Amino acid sequence: MAAAAAAAAASGGHSGKTYSFKVVLLGEGCVGKTSLVLRYCENKFNDKHITTLQASFLTKKLNITGKRVNLAIWDTAGQERFHALGPIYYRDSNGAILVYDVTDEDSFQKVKNWVKELRKMLGNEICLCIVGNKIDLDKDRHVSVEEAESYAESVGARHYHTSAKLNKGIEELFLDLCKRMMETAQAEERIKGNGSSQSASSRRGVQIVDDEPQATPAGGCCSSG
Amino acid sequence: MATADSGLKPLQNAMKMAKTAIQLDGENKHKEAYCEYLRTINYISHALLEEAASQKEKEMVAVEVERMLRLAEQCLERAKSFIGKNVDPPDLHASSSSSSSSSSSTTAAAAVASSSSEPHQTTAAPTNTVPAADSPVEQKSSSPTKTGHRRVLSDGGGELSPFLPPEVFQRLQTVASQDTSKKELTPIEEASRLNQKLKATYEARLARLTPGQAYQKTSLTLSLQRQMMENLIIAKARQDALQRKMEERRLRLQEEANRRFAASGAMTAEEQEQRVLYANVLEYEQDHDWPKQWKANMKKNPDITLVSDLVSYLLSRSDHPVVKLLRKHQYRIYNRLYPIVSKGLPQSPNMPLRPSRSIHNLLRPETQRKPISSFSTDSSLSPSHSHELNTNCDEEEAEEPQTQPTVDRENSFEDLEQFLTQLDWAPPHSGTDETGSDSEPTGDPSTQDESHVQELENKALKEHLKAIVKDIHIAIEQLLSLCLLSFECLNTASYKDLCLASIEEAFFPPLWSAIVTLFRKVHREREQAFETGMKLYRDASPRDVGVPSKLFPPDLIALQGSYPYESAVQELKLLVQDCCPQRKLECIVRTLRLICACAEEYRCLHEADSSPKTAAIGADDLLPILSFVALRCQCPQLVSECAALGEFIHEGYLIGEEGYCLTSMQSALAYVESLQTAGTHLPAHKLV
Repeated sequence: MAAAAAAAAASGGHSGKTYSFKVVLLGEGCVGKTSLVLRYCENKFNDKHITTLQASFLTKKLNITGKRVNLAIWDTAGQERFHALGPIYYRDSNGAILVYDVTDEDSFQKVKNWVKELRKMLGNEICLCIVGNKIDLDKDRHVSVEEAESYAESVGARHYHTSAKLNKGIEELFLDLCKRMMETAQAEERIKGNGSSQSASSRRGVQIVDDEPQATPAGGCCSSG
Repeated sequence: MATADSGLKPLQNAMKMAKTAIQLDGENKHKEAYCEYLRTINYISHALLEEAASQKEKEMVAVEVERMLRLAEQCLERAKSFIGKNVDPPDLHASSSSSSSSSSSTTAAAAVASSSSEPHQTTAAPTNTVPAADSPVEQKSSSPTKTGHRRVLSDGGGELSPFLPPEVFQRLQTVASQDTSKKELTPIEEASRLNQKLKATYEARLARLTPGQAYQKTSLTLSLQRQMMENLIIAKARQDALQRKMEERRLRLQEEANRRFAASGAMTAEEQEQRVLYANVLEYEQDHDWPKQWKANMKKNPDITLVSDLVSYLLSRSDHPVVKLLRKHQYRIYNRLYPIVSKGLPQSPNMPLRPSRSIHNLLRPETQRKPISSFSTDSSLSPSHSHELNTNCDEEEAEEPQTQPTVDRENSFEDLEQFLTQLDWAPPHSGTDETGSDSEPTGDPSTQDESHVQELENKALKEHLKAIVKDIHIAIEQLLSLCLLSFECLNTASYKDLCLASIEEAFFPPLWSAIVTLFRKVHREREQAFETGMKLYRDASPRDVGVPSKLFPPDLIALQGSYPYESAVQELKLLVQDCCPQRKLECIVRTLRLICACAEEYRCLHEADSSPKTAAIGADDLLPILSFVALRCQCPQLVSECAALGEFIHEGYLIGEEGYCLTSMQSALAYVESLQTAGTHLPAHKLV
């Protein structure tokens, strides 16, 4: 099932028209992930429809470098007692946004646990974003920038600083994530197109590389392959 | 039917009819009873068909439908028993008596004409309908309801194998098809119709002759025979010619189909099958104009509403190859499901005493006592268990636990009667899933073996489930591809989705209850865990499952009989009534939306001026509320339903709102299941 759905997401990209990506939002109770995602999809909420699922499930349509992208953002429950059910939420995800509160050391520890679990369950296929939220409260910061960034690098994730309150860093976060997910999808397509000769190893290579350079240079290297 | 008054509900009507049949049966009027049983079955299938056909207004509840089907099954068992008893079908008695008066020389002619049995039926019918019409069951319904207590042992509540045998399932399918399309008669059929008319005029003339006119009589007889013979010979020739032509055409079309697929030499069996099917489609299109017209319409005016119209029209044409394939697949899958789901539940091997079997034994008077003894041996094997069963049944039954059956002649239809009275007695909303679910294995030494056997059985069941799910996917895929082959204009991404949805809507309903029964067998333990959690938290407030206080009304007592999120609970309760995965998913989505709407409303009660942005509901709030709603829904079957939905949800919906809602539902259910272990850690005041 998982494989089939992943293929479906990729096949959306195969047509060269629209990419459909699933992004899960993980984070402890009070880190502000709901505000974060609401900020991002704000426009949608101005004409407050009562029929929506509010902040639990949001969609956003984007146009990135001429390609259409449909984002489905899945919020998850932060409470410990729902953790056992995590896997059914994040299966088939293309990306994960792991949010912690920069003033709360504990919430950063939780993020580390999730990273471990995600890597274990989904391998390197998934694009990880570690997000330190509430930078407007920088004076109470308990997680150092260096620590967070070096940790992110060590696990092949990217690190972002945001403030939902001040609407800072959020747009960049999602745009960046989308680009990375597109690259991953394109790489997957290429592998499929070339047959199964180059297998997982090359796919993984792309994934690791895309940690460093930005979308455009990566795109250049893609076209040659 | 004669007894069907319009004011009554179908179930009541069916029960009335069945009671009449039982009475006739009791009076040893085998023929009449046989007919009445058949009439009951006929009525039930008709009523259900009508119900099923009119999707819009669901008058009948699922429980009621299930009961009707079970009643039909029991009637069928009784009807079958008559076949074993009398060598000749009961019909013939009636017809032979009426036709014996006419001269023996007509028998040859009658035999010629007998390809259709209509004349027999018309003569037999009046004698049969009389008892049905004038013995309505009033005198029956008053006193013997007491026998309802007897159901205690043989009946496991709702688990009395509520499924139609596959043959009946198939027959229902074809009945449905005959309803929608009137087939043209073949030449032979036409001739036999004609011959019947001839025979009728012959008989009328014969009756007008005076006894002295023996000569005219013989000549009339001879001319009748001659005419009938001629008609048949001509018809036969025409039929042969037609068949040859059809065969030629078939070959031609098959070639055309082969050309279209023009694949390399090696063909898989599937490809082969697809070619044959496509040839059938071509053949159909030669005989029917509507596909061409639709195709032209689609070309002229490609419109999404036209697509669903087209597909639903296509699916209503019961002789179209797509529909034939649909029925074939449905039957195949039902056939695979039936042996598994019609068996009792794995946990309690001696519970599902099939009533039909005992009825079978009761056919012959000399074995009348037998089933009773088998009854008691069965229960004496595990007295503790049967006792438990008694105590587990609803209160009414517990009042009269002694099941010593008094041997009267009514015993022979005990089970059917029992079933009927049970229907009389059953409270309208009795949960069908309560049955033996809490009958724990008793502490006898054989438990270990049993648990091992059970383990193996569960494993086998899981395998079956996997295989059947796969079969269903394959079947639907095949149907879709034949659909797209038949109408190429549908072969775009969005049209395809619509097409698929329509196919599923036709495919699943007759199968769903069997499918979900299999899922329930596999997920039995999970359902039990859910039930335990449910009971533990029966009166829990939203706070007890972690809903923040701003998201439910401050004063719960003021709600008066209602409770928070009741509208969402009511919505979710409807889920089990739908028979199509897509509809069920929509039901879950509606439930979650209602939750959000309620939450918004409650929050406004607390803080009038809060800005909506910061307060919108995220998963942190949604899941506890959803868990609360699932608890209040009191329906362990949801566990299996959602597991089944997980298998049949479209890939396209997987990451969308539907997928999110299903996932949330599943995690809320899993949370409720986990409550039974978590319950021990909870402070006492929360356990209520």
